Amino acid sequence: MAFRVVIAGRGGEGVLFVTRVLAEGAFRQGHPVISTETHGMAQRGGSVISQVKIGDFLSPMIRYGEADLLIATSEEEAARNLIYLRDGGKVIRDSRAGGPYDIDARGIAYELDHPRGANLVLLGFAIGELEGLKPGPFEEVITELSPSRWTQKNLEAFRRGLLHRGPKG
Amino acid sequence: MVGLKRRVLLGNEAIAWALLQEGATVLSSYPGTPASEILDTVIKLKAVLQLRVHASWAINEKVAFEIALSNSWLGGRSAVMMKQVGLNVALDPLMSAAYTGVKGGFIVVAADDPGPYSSQTEQDSRLLALFAKIPVFDPSTPQEAMEMVGRAFELSERFRIPVMLRPTSWVCHARQGLQLRGIEAVEPSLSLEKDPYHWAAPPRQRFRLHRELNQKIGEIAEEDSFSTLGNPEADLAVVASGVPFAHLRDLMRSLGLEDRLAVFKVDRPFPLPRGLQGLLRRYRGVLLLEETYPVMELQLSLRDRVHGRLDGTIPSEGELTPEVVLRALRRLLGEGPLGEVPRPPEGSRSRLCPGCPHRAAFWAIKEALPGGIYPSDIGCYTLGLNLGAVDSFLCMGASISLAEGFYLSLKGSAGEVPPICATIGDSTFFHAGVPALIDAVHQRASFVLVIMDNGSTAMTGGQPTPASAEDGKKAVEMEEVVRGCGVEHLQVVDPYDVPRMVKAVKEAYRFTQLHGGPAVVISRRPCPLIAREPSRGVVRVTEECTGCMSCVEETECPALEEGEGRPLVLEDLCRGCGLCVYVCPMGALELEGG
Repeated sequence: MAFRVVIAGRGGEGVLFVTRVLAEGAFRQGHPVISTETHGMAQRGGSVISQVKIGDFLSPMIRYGEADLLIATSEEEAARNLIYLRDGGKVIRDSRAGGPYDIDARGIAYELDHPRGANLVLLGFAIGELEGLKPGPFEEVITELSPSRWTQKNLEAFRRGLLHRGPKG
Repeated sequence: MVGLKRRVLLGNEAIAWALLQEGATVLSSYPGTPASEILDTVIKLKAVLQLRVHASWAINEKVAFEIALSNSWLGGRSAVMMKQVGLNVALDPLMSAAYTGVKGGFIVVAADDPGPYSSQTEQDSRLLALFAKIPVFDPSTPQEAMEMVGRAFELSERFRIPVMLRPTSWVCHARQGLQLRGIEAVEPSLSLEKDPYHWAAPPRQRFRLHRELNQKIGEIAEEDSFSTLGNPEADLAVVASGVPFAHLRDLMRSLGLEDRLAVFKVDRPFPLPRGLQGLLRRYRGVLLLEETYPVMELQLSLRDRVHGRLDGTIPSEGELTPEVVLRALRRLLGEGPLGEVPRPPEGSRSRLCPGCPHRAAFWAIKEALPGGIYPSDIGCYTLGLNLGAVDSFLCMGASISLAEGFYLSLKGSAGEVPPICATIGDSTFFHAGVPALIDAVHQRASFVLVIMDNGSTAMTGGQPTPASAEDGKKAVEMEEVVRGCGVEHLQVVDPYDVPRMVKAVKEAYRFTQLHGGPAVVISRRPCPLIAREPSRGVVRVTEECTGCMSCVEETECPALEEGEGRPLVLEDLCRGCGLCVYVCPMGALELEGG
């Protein structure tokens, strides 16, 4: 497996958390992983991106035009980071615009009375759309990394995303 | 993270793990991106594994360095961790410790920030290793950083010399799946072997220590510390270290360049392995890939075929992203230029968090002392720049010395001295602000100093300050320190009480006008991100709102957005600090549940 994912959002939206879950969940299924994340000043409310490379890579950074998948917490962040996407790569966005891989993650999170869970709705949807990754290990990681009072809600958010139907059906 | 053999670890977590696994017993640091999580992790592991190591946040990097060094002199393995500009603060003991030497293995972790992402400079700590004449390891990945910790301790003990480990942001803040060995408790036998020849050498003896140091570094240079990859028979070569090597390796694979280039991956850029110099002679062209200064390049004896920063093949500033490395490779291979590296459009800028007490303090300062000069300092509050309440930041503690300097210069010039109000965080005040404040008192420099005391080192993740009483440590009271510096006017205010905060700043200013010398306001409220206090309520927009958007523009609060003709309060973000209620000129905002 050789798979490159860019995750884009703003500081405070849980991009870091999703990055950790994606990396650890993939590693537990036997894939080497290396990823980046944003810390410090850049993290304070501004635009942030993480990059996750699954497979035999040494560098954690993704070259422009090489990402297989872009996960974005908004249309703006998706547009801004399209430069990373390869020809034929997918964009999974939190959006109500009705694009092929759009999902109203925030709306679903509000329905679950868990507004901060939009990030995991997006991740669930992404995992459901990816070939070759099982959801089980990701749920295991979410359970381990969530503060106990959020565990159930986080799992629900992830599962709602997982069950969301993209163009694959 | 304990008990598992395979984990995905942050580079900094991996370094922490390796330091403990290799038997370090004293680990000291001052927080700073990208180095902070190393000691954070050591402290967590110490608690979980009940290790008897001394792991502590020091007041600044110089003190941290000396605490770790003393354990090394006693014979224990030790480490000090800091960001690159922290090494500037610790440069004094570093230069001298290179001469005195060490006993127990001593590692200086200096984490660099090419880019820079979260620093004032993108300086290369490896050049300071060269300057101090100590060896430096330059890891490409978290995995390699772990392995290099063991090698660095071994080298340090064999040559009795401090050894630097220099990771960069994408080692520190990369996560990688790793195999971990267990951590076992060690109990070194410690004693101070009286060795005045080394530990207490007077200036006239230092010449001999310098000669010893030169011998050590000469011998270390004879030890190879590189590997050969790609096709050694090719006529072009690349010498690479650190993260740029990782980019190179992935690029060569994806572009199928393995046969066309010889690659020398250098683990220890200083002293450059002497054996490498001879090997490079047979190549028609040699490209240097290293961050961020030409440290290996400057050491190469053959100069005519070398391409890197000195001949402009590699830009002299900015990080070596895969895009930059690709362009340099194309040039080396004679495949024509690719043009400028494209950049994604600018994203939204960083800003203070909702409910940040700094926001209220800045607003009060501008209200109390309009048209003033506002020197600030290093921390979250540099974001006060967006609010027009920060005119400068230079380095840790400089807000106070700059305020003193501005006052002393302007006082001697024609015209009126505008109000001067410096801002500094609590951790930064302890780190380097205290000597500056004593100097300002001594010089009778008149300015207002607002110490923004949020009870932690917030920007780097909420590490404790000397005023914290965790783990049985003695809390040093900030008020006592301020008074002890000789300050005669001091008030402590909760910045959420905006009218009182405005009044306190005005009163402080009046004091400086009447009596001379600095006056201090401690603006005290815990960082909501770290104290995890529940929200105080939610702001509502009432019918009085005229849609002027002053609240959105003047506070830059992430919980306020420009809606259709009216501001929109994002309820899940609003923490009910109520600053916007004061800011609104129409009195159209109300705090509910406050």
